[in-house]
Amino acid sequence: MQEEHEARGPVRFAIDHPWGVIGLSVGTALLLVALVVLPLVAPTAVPFLSPVQVDTDPENMLDAHEPVRVFHNERKETLSLYDMIVVGVVNETHPQGVFNVETLGQVYELTEFAKTLHGEAIGLDDPDAGVVEIDLIAPSTVDNIAPGGPGVVQFEWLMAKPPQTDAEALAIRDKALRMPFLDGTLISEDGKAVAIYVPITDKHLSYRIANKLQEKIDSFPEGADFHITGLPVAEDTFGVEMFIQMAISAPAAMLVVFLLMLYFFRRLALVLSPLIVALLSVIITMGALVVTGNTIHIMSSMIPIFIMPISVLDSVHILSEYFEEYGRRRDRRAAIERVMTHLFTPMLYTSLTTFAGFISLALTPIPPVQVFGVFIAFGVMVAWFLTITFVPAFIMLLPARTFENFGAAHADEHAAGLLPRMLAGAARFTNRRARLVLLGTIALAALAVAGIFQININDNPIRWFHASHPIRVADRVLNEHFGGTYMAYLNFDGNAEPQPLDVFLPGFEQRYQTLAEEEALPEDVRAAFRGLMDDAKSNAANHEQFLDALAESSGAARDDAPDATYDAWNVVARFVTDEQSRRQVFKQPEALEYMAKIQAHLQENPVVGKSNSLADLVRTVHRELFEGAPEAYRIPESNRAVAQCIITYESSHRPHDLWHFVTPDFRQSSVWIQLRSGDNQDMAAVAKDVEQFVAQNPPPMAMKLEWFGLTYINVVWQEKMVSGMLMSFLGSFLVVFAMMVVLFRSALWALVSMIPLTITIGLIYGVIGFAGRDYDMPIAVLSSLTLGLAVDFAIHFLARARDLYETERDWPATNLRLFGEPARAIFRNVIVIAVGFLPLLLAPLVPYQTVGLFMAAILFTSGAATLIIVPALIRVLQPLLFPERVPVARACRFGSLGMLGAAIYGALWVNVQPFLHNPHAEWLIGFAIFLPLWLAVSFVLSRRGACRVYTTAETTAAPANGAREK
Amino acid sequence: MKKHFAFAIAAAGLAACLSAVAQEPTVDDIVARTNTASYYQGKDGRAGVTMTITDAQGRERKRELTILRRDSGEDGGKQRFYVYFHEPADVRDTAFLVWKHLGQDDDRWLYLPALDVTKRIAAADERTSFVGSHYFYEDVSGRGIDEDDHELVETTDTYYVLKNTPKNKDAVEFDSFTMWLHKGTYLPVKVEFEKGGEVYRTNEILAVDTIQGYPTVTKSKMTDKRIGGFTVNEYHDIKYDLDMPEDIFTERYLRRAPREYLR
Repeated sequence: MQEEHEARGPVRFAIDHPWGVIGLSVGTALLLVALVVLPLVAPTAVPFLSPVQVDTDPENMLDAHEPVRVFHNERKETLSLYDMIVVGVVNETHPQGVFNVETLGQVYELTEFAKTLHGEAIGLDDPDAGVVEIDLIAPSTVDNIAPGGPGVVQFEWLMAKPPQTDAEALAIRDKALRMPFLDGTLISEDGKAVAIYVPITDKHLSYRIANKLQEKIDSFPEGADFHITGLPVAEDTFGVEMFIQMAISAPAAMLVVFLLMLYFFRRLALVLSPLIVALLSVIITMGALVVTGNTIHIMSSMIPIFIMPISVLDSVHILSEYFEEYGRRRDRRAAIERVMTHLFTPMLYTSLTTFAGFISLALTPIPPVQVFGVFIAFGVMVAWFLTITFVPAFIMLLPARTFENFGAAHADEHAAGLLPRMLAGAARFTNRRARLVLLGTIALAALAVAGIFQININDNPIRWFHASHPIRVADRVLNEHFGGTYMAYLNFDGNAEPQPLDVFLPGFEQRYQTLAEEEALPEDVRAAFRGLMDDAKSNAANHEQFLDALAESSGAARDDAPDATYDAWNVVARFVTDEQSRRQVFKQPEALEYMAKIQAHLQENPVVGKSNSLADLVRTVHRELFEGAPEAYRIPESNRAVAQCIITYESSHRPHDLWHFVTPDFRQSSVWIQLRSGDNQDMAAVAKDVEQFVAQNPPPMAMKLEWFGLTYINVVWQEKMVSGMLMSFLGSFLVVFAMMVVLFRSALWALVSMIPLTITIGLIYGVIGFAGRDYDMPIAVLSSLTLGLAVDFAIHFLARARDLYETERDWPATNLRLFGEPARAIFRNVIVIAVGFLPLLLAPLVPYQTVGLFMAAILFTSGAATLIIVPALIRVLQPLLFPERVPVARACRFGSLGMLGAAIYGALWVNVQPFLHNPHAEWLIGFAIFLPLWLAVSFVLSRRGACRVYTTAETTAAPANGAREK
Repeated sequence: MKKHFAFAIAAAGLAACLSAVAQEPTVDDIVARTNTASYYQGKDGRAGVTMTITDAQGRERKRELTILRRDSGEDGGKQRFYVYFHEPADVRDTAFLVWKHLGQDDDRWLYLPALDVTKRIAAADERTSFVGSHYFYEDVSGRGIDEDDHELVETTDTYYVLKNTPKNKDAVEFDSFTMWLHKGTYLPVKVEFEKGGEVYRTNEILAVDTIQGYPTVTKSKMTDKRIGGFTVNEYHDIKYDLDMPEDIFTERYLRRAPREYLR
């Protein structure tokens, strides 16, 4: 317990050495700024410093070593897949859609231009960096395979040059619509639009390439609409806008906060100090973030917006109180010392709870969220330290005239006295109708729970843009016309371990016998082949080695055979190579049929617009080899026939396209799936759909199906986010509860203090559930902010309640006084923060809007919950909260100790388990052992002689020390 | 004139070569001699080809084929080619037939044994891949010398450097190609294709052997920077002047490979 009149060390130092404190704070901030700027100016000056790095890649929501990312990158590499910019061309006015001379001419020109966008053309030294010309998909860069009359198959560029007549343009459309690969991908199913897919070597080049494309498009005369989109563009654009956001929205919010404080406190010089504290806290935190080599990510870019309100909150309490105190004493030093002494403990605890809320994010399995949580937690403590040092130091340095007529009036107190009357009314109401308030609260809570069950967990990085943003518009238009612009890939892995010979041989022998009979192989060939088999067996460790050896020896035997037995040897050698090629899983008709079956099933899913695979490629070639007959669109019967379709395809202009679908060993193949929606829940539903289908329709041979692609990666981090956030929230809730037990030295008081926060969170998430707003990444992290902010009002309110009760010894009277200055301070805070952050609603990026809206909702709800529910609760629980007799307090203490132990154990469980990865059952058994032991210890402790000296007054004395606001 | 593909086969004989050294030949002479050295050695010829396709990731695929060629008469005149696949095993017996004409599109047929189809292939151009390799059809059968304008840009001690610019730019993907022609053999030791001043596609002769008196390419390599990777062709069992009958080079023989010339 602290001496009442003595200010704490740092505060005292600040009051004694105001210039020193101000110099130190500003100096630290400047130093960090210098460290951030230095590597930009002189990159090599200090080796361990790195320049600011911006990261807008949603992939980084997962650790780089996360299996799904490793797999994604590995597949991308082996299948030479690139991230794509998509240019959609739509012509709604021309009767032939885009298939007219003018528009196709522009499409051709844009394609030729896109081919040049690499190396120097986009300002890069590496000549290959930029657009990957060879994989560009556009009408002029893809092949049309078509029957060219009886017995003729034709290979030609779909659009070798721009058409000269509209009839030629229509012919191009009709050819493209025939090609399963192009229909719905290159050309819209309604034949009105085309898409150009521009592959790029690095998605971080997408913004500059998209800008170049846009410049070119702007040079075209009016006519068709060109839409540029694709996930890489969205991400890169987001990065650029993020900075605009940080440079405009955050300062705008700061300005409004400043103006509101000016309105409430009417002293420019005084109001400057919280502003400077907020600014310094932001600079120091962001400086530390950059200097420690962390990237500015979508998450970390929001740190300033979170730190500002938190740091302003404490300052508003100091200013409010200082106003009153100075008016009474007219002595600057005495007033500030007294204020700081009173507020020290509540401010420390409100900061610690906020700290706990955010530091818990370090436990989520999502690296950017961890960085976000850790640095906000750091910033909160920086803001706290600056508030208790910088603000007093600043006040000490203000010229005396600043305080003339000071403390006379607050804007909100005398302006028609509306606020005081309202608050007094609330005081009476909560006192008289306490039970009604509590019943209402329970009803609301029940409603909130119902709402929470309605919550729709979903995210979609495209939705981070406002609905009117060109990217969203492009997204919408293109997904209307095409099979979907969101790519997901389903990988089929047919790798299998070689079989031991004794497992393989019986079947092999049997198949050989059947063949030998059917083909009536001559006896001498059979005997010789037997010999070759025995040789192959003797040196082989598994069936693959056996077949390799046998293929070689039987092939040689055929080549050397006299004409008389050549055909027989040919049959034998082919039998062996057919057996051998079974390991080339995706040349086997059954494997491709299965793939086609899964695609057909996927096509029934409304989210799936289109899928492309090796099966489609083989079927298309097969169809064109048979005069384009629709019934010939099928997988041929043998692996050799499949192989021959493939080699035919390899004689086209784009043989390399094959290797985007299958590896050259034909043991892995990927289906390219176009989704109409990038919503995580839609992707998750598609994945589940496939899983169920595969369970009911097992593959014809051993193969493993696995997803990759950016759309799928988003699903994985979302799942982690939801479970991670829940655990982190539970963990910090328990930590905050334990803190409250320590602060109030009573589990009951701690429970009361947790009510407004619980109700606030419940109501906000309940409303989100009912409103149908998706629970996405920004909303998930805001639960931490809620936890940190919502408990603050309760801490201040309850601390004052105990303090006042000590002198009043009567609840209704205490209640009335609580609705004086303490309630006004809460009210001012609500207004300053909630209104101050409304400018964020004007931001074009949705996560910022969400934060602005949430900030207001948290403050209003938790303010209201504190002012209405808490007094009513105290009224009802009065005998327990303010016990008349010591024994009741002692029993209470035993319970409090017990609950404290349970809360700490629970917090450890939730927070440590993710690192130890041990089963929850172990923690449960641990709890069963720990709890009785701890209760026994609590019992003994509570029976100690020292406990007996506590009286009601003493019990409440401790927090009251620091908590008095007047 | 032009590309030397694999079974580039010797023609006009040493005497012509030697006499050429004595006095500087005209551009037209150079073009004609190169064409002969690359595609018209002997009146017919056969070569086994081991084709190794290495992709940008270093993954290899092998094909084993035999190419038969028969000239109609004059060097630089019509020719017929028969290409037969031995390996991979699942495309064994697949065969191509090419009738090379002058001044008009070649005729091409494809036989796929497992599907039992013979198809005439009507390609709008000859710059499609030769069975998935980095070579084009045109590299195999030879690009018509009348399709380009030729310019002797440099004569070194060892090479004539010939720049070739297509007359019809729309039909090809390059702006020009440059050949380094060995003065003694007229074989194009190196050919570079360029678009927008950037060389993206290069063929190199890695080995030459004299067979039956004809300087013959036995190993060559095509590199394509856009696709990445390269294809190496190694020629073996090369033989000239086999007196192969003309009817082997007809559609009928696609289904009935002329085994005696292929084994």
